[in-house]
Amino acid sequence: MNAQTRTHRARRSTRAAATALATLLALGAAACSSKATDGDDGGKAGAGGVKTGDGVTDKKIPLGALTDRTGVYATLGKSVTQAQQLYVKQTNAAGGICGRKLSLTVRDHGYDPQKAVAAYTELEPKVLGFAQFIGSPFVASVDGRIRSDKALVIPQAWSADLLGNPYVRVLGSTYDLETINAIDFLLKEKGLKKGDRIGHVYFEGDYGENALAGSRHMAKESGLTVVEQKIKPTDNDMSAQVVALKKAGVKAVVISAGPRQAASLVGVAAASGLKVPVIGNNSAFAPQLLATQAGPALEKMYYVSTPSLPIGDKAEGPSKLAKDYAAAYPKDALDNGVVAGWTAASTFGEALKRACKAKDLTREGVGKALLTMDSYDTGFGAQDFSDPQAPSSTESVIIRPDKGAKGGSSVVREAGTAAEAKDFTPGED
Amino acid sequence: MSDAPGTTVVAGRGAPPAKTALRPAWPPRPRTYLWIAGSVLLLALPFYLDRFWLQAGLFAMAAAIGAIGINMLTGSTGQLSMGHAFFLAVGAYGYCAFAGDGGDELTGLGLPTAVAAVLAVALAGLAGGLFSPIAGRLRGAYLGIATLALIFIGQHVLFNAHDLTGGFNGRDVPPLNILGFRFDDSELVVAAIPFGSAEKLWYAGLVLLAGCALFARGVLRGRPGRAMNVIRDHRIAAGVMGVPVARYRAAAFVLSSMYAGLAGVLLALVFQRTVPDYFGMVLSLEYLAMIVIGGLGSVAGAVVGAAFVSLLPQVLTRYSDALPLVAESGTGGVAPGEAARYLYGAAVVAVVLFLPGGLIRLVTRRTAPPKHPDKPTPGTPGPSGEER
Repeated sequence: MNAQTRTHRARRSTRAAATALATLLALGAAACSSKATDGDDGGKAGAGGVKTGDGVTDKKIPLGALTDRTGVYATLGKSVTQAQQLYVKQTNAAGGICGRKLSLTVRDHGYDPQKAVAAYTELEPKVLGFAQFIGSPFVASVDGRIRSDKALVIPQAWSADLLGNPYVRVLGSTYDLETINAIDFLLKEKGLKKGDRIGHVYFEGDYGENALAGSRHMAKESGLTVVEQKIKPTDNDMSAQVVALKKAGVKAVVISAGPRQAASLVGVAAASGLKVPVIGNNSAFAPQLLATQAGPALEKMYYVSTPSLPIGDKAEGPSKLAKDYAAAYPKDALDNGVVAGWTAASTFGEALKRACKAKDLTREGVGKALLTMDSYDTGFGAQDFSDPQAPSSTESVIIRPDKGAKGGSSVVREAGTAAEAKDFTPGED
Repeated sequence: MSDAPGTTVVAGRGAPPAKTALRPAWPPRPRTYLWIAGSVLLLALPFYLDRFWLQAGLFAMAAAIGAIGINMLTGSTGQLSMGHAFFLAVGAYGYCAFAGDGGDELTGLGLPTAVAAVLAVALAGLAGGLFSPIAGRLRGAYLGIATLALIFIGQHVLFNAHDLTGGFNGRDVPPLNILGFRFDDSELVVAAIPFGSAEKLWYAGLVLLAGCALFARGVLRGRPGRAMNVIRDHRIAAGVMGVPVARYRAAAFVLSSMYAGLAGVLLALVFQRTVPDYFGMVLSLEYLAMIVIGGLGSVAGAVVGAAFVSLLPQVLTRYSDALPLVAESGTGGVAPGEAARYLYGAAVVAVVLFLPGGLIRLVTRRTAPPKHPDKPTPGTPGPSGEER
């Protein structure tokens, strides 16, 4: 036993000595590490007298995209990413921006918080900003770092919870504004009146709860009563909700859920005789629904409130994008993810152009340039980025499913803002 | 099947064989050199790697702590737990609630962060203790089903208890602060290298992991470890030999939840924000995958498995553009992210297929002959392998 203790002690002391020695060596060797500070991290003047930094060189402007190609938002992620890759391709073919080519690095996080944070950590030092970031919980989880990194992030989510960070800019109206505009449409054009009850089926989480804040505000302003039905993203059958809403005698239904839930709700409502208009947020519709059994019912009684013109619209912006996208990705569906991706990328592109004009292609320069864009029209609706605390638009377009139209939807009411939305501050309920 | 490992375990007990005692102190065994080289490498890494790698490493360390915990429960005691993610959440949110100062309108006691971390681990242990009447009575897969409930209850609370958890978008994690040394992004320059939160936490993570691994090794190699193994291999025999089966099962459950709690605290510190989405069933399954892939019943197996499961997807995603099979977007082929997933799946299948004892067998087969007397074979039977 004695011998053994001695052995242990001897071994332990040599080990400690060796560790200490090696640590010293490591500290010395650290001087040759590429991580060592060289005291030159400010903006440098590059080609054309433009101040550059954060990965921007004389040849290229690197952008990042944190997407979801393998998780719950895989369909959205695919459209958004492909539309942005198309934008980059077209811009580079036209000579790039500021004499530099754009490059888009895409990382798929599969809607996994760990991978999303890892991907942000990986790309952040290498890119000027992010043209795409799917998943508002993940944007929230790196929120503090975005503030100190100062890189512009355009999230593909429209929750008012994302507002308030000057570097995270929500493109278009938030869900609460969108819902206010949706109910305004029901009041003005679908015969909903004071004293009526409306149903609101919503997802647990920031999307649904943000939309609910909008309908509560509208109910207070216009004397409606909201019948709330909270569901989980895994609930696919809306029969119970339809029965409850029918019993409550609702005159209209708002749905803030996914396309699948919207189809189920409308299908079941039509079958069980609850013939009231149903209106959804932009995430509650996908053109693929028209091919399902609920298709005819959807065409008859379903409407969608969205921040931008649908891809199938005849206006110049949408029709050009639809044509180009179909040419580049002939096998893939045209949906509103394409619009969301395109508008985000082109907004970023416009900010870069303005930053170039001001000869400052750094993160600060892009941030300043964005604030000057007070009426930028992407071709899908005007956006105002001058207030860092507000969403870039308060307008919504009301569309309806339409089998005949490209992208499966056509416009019912042009872009507009409800009077009740004007005195509403998103994110406050 | 159930007899063989049991016998090995019993044979492995008692005084260490004379061979070790007679070894001269110098020169040390080659294994010692390996350990020294490994620790030096780990200590030097923050000076060279960028934040992505350090963060990936930290995720792996946190996962390793959690995996050691569940390995003591599932690998050594044969109790299946699907509720590991719940205890991780208790640790993570417990830390936030104890350490938060209420500045973000969420419940916070404003305690010193080190105290909060200890309390969060204790809280996870307490939660495990509250569940232990069930954990002590149920065995194997039945416990797995019972613990499944914890996940659903946990997620419901995390999403809906706004004042405590911040709801869907989670809450900020106060940075660790030990005696005035802050583990946050405030820059500290050591030997010309700027130290941010990842670099500082790296050392905290190493210390915690080493402590946890040593403690678990002590438990598993001592009397309790042998009792746990006998419970796994033959519950009735354990009872006949005088092992209080229910108490041991409950204790293993509490210990495993405390490990999960600590893993949760470390994860929260690395994430800098906790989001409820993370603590779902998939996370529990990942922990089970870690110990199966790494090797059931051994500390080293848990660490190796944790590194494999948490690092591989991140690395594959990072280099996804350069993976084979990846098609240009628009051609309808496999997207980089999808390719990374397929490869990860293939790797898991390959390990389970060709290394049924886990990755740790690769190491033990080389360095130690299977008949090594003072080394009980890492538990072969799985959680369901008992009580046929």
